[in-house]
Amino acid sequence: MSLSAASTSLLRAGARQLPTSRVAVASCQQQRGIAEATKPTFSSPFASASSSTSKIPDFSKYASKKSPRSNQVFSYFMAGSLGLASAVGAKATVQDFLVNMSASADVLAQAKVEIGLATIPEGKNVIIKWRGKPVFIRHRTAGEIQEAEDIAWEGLRDPQPDADRVQKPEWLVMLGVCTHLGCVPIGEAGDYGGWFCPCHGSHYDISGRIRKGPAPLNLEVPQYNFPTEDTLVIG
Amino acid sequence: MSPLPTDSPEKGLIRRNAVYLTTIFAGAFAFEIAYDTGSNKIWDAMNRGRQWKDIKQRYMVAAEEDDE
Repeated sequence: MSLSAASTSLLRAGARQLPTSRVAVASCQQQRGIAEATKPTFSSPFASASSSTSKIPDFSKYASKKSPRSNQVFSYFMAGSLGLASAVGAKATVQDFLVNMSASADVLAQAKVEIGLATIPEGKNVIIKWRGKPVFIRHRTAGEIQEAEDIAWEGLRDPQPDADRVQKPEWLVMLGVCTHLGCVPIGEAGDYGGWFCPCHGSHYDISGRIRKGPAPLNLEVPQYNFPTEDTLVIG
Repeated sequence: MSPLPTDSPEKGLIRRNAVYLTTIFAGAFAFEIAYDTGSNKIWDAMNRGRQWKDIKQRYMVAAEEDDE
């Protein structure tokens, strides 16, 4: 074989002289290249591996008959539909949890109080119970409205104009809980003609604003509205 | 993804990802409304005459007559 002949000549030349060995290597490589070009096929030594596993099967039977474009459109449509369904499902799940936290219908029904205003004469206080707390309703006279509006409210401890505390000037509605420590103030008492807290001596004026004493804030105004001319709904 | 041809009818919806996602969410919104409305209608049809809103009228009228 020419390869072994080349290697033996290489060994002999290498023992004598180095440049000769380079020539021998080059000739050896050339001979290898020629040898491979003349043997292009591979024959397996195993008889069973003759044809069935070394050849790629024909998949054309399973290939789609439609155009690749329509297959693409279909797969994007399916992915989009799945996304749509997931979005709806996720929204419904989150909403169920959130609705679970909101007040139920019976709680909401008890959270409102309706009062007929026709029975409250001018210049009188009415105390009603709303969500376990007293609510003061004062039918103010024209003089009291004038007094509440004329005060220089900018200099008060909790500055607030009377217009921010009432929806209709003749009706003053507020929570009857002293903002100091939660006592119930006494109506038509105190130095300012409004409310007076007997616990620690806070004086509120005719708009329910703190004027004197330890309380830090004005009496709180709840949410309320007038559905008709002479009814009041608190809550 | 290889670009879709411009003559495809769906190219407007799935060519740009932003448009694709917007379509999905808008579709989800519409689908939810349709689904809820449809299922409520089916439920009401199956329980016609048995729900409070169906029989409410009788009792509310009676209560008003009692007041008067």
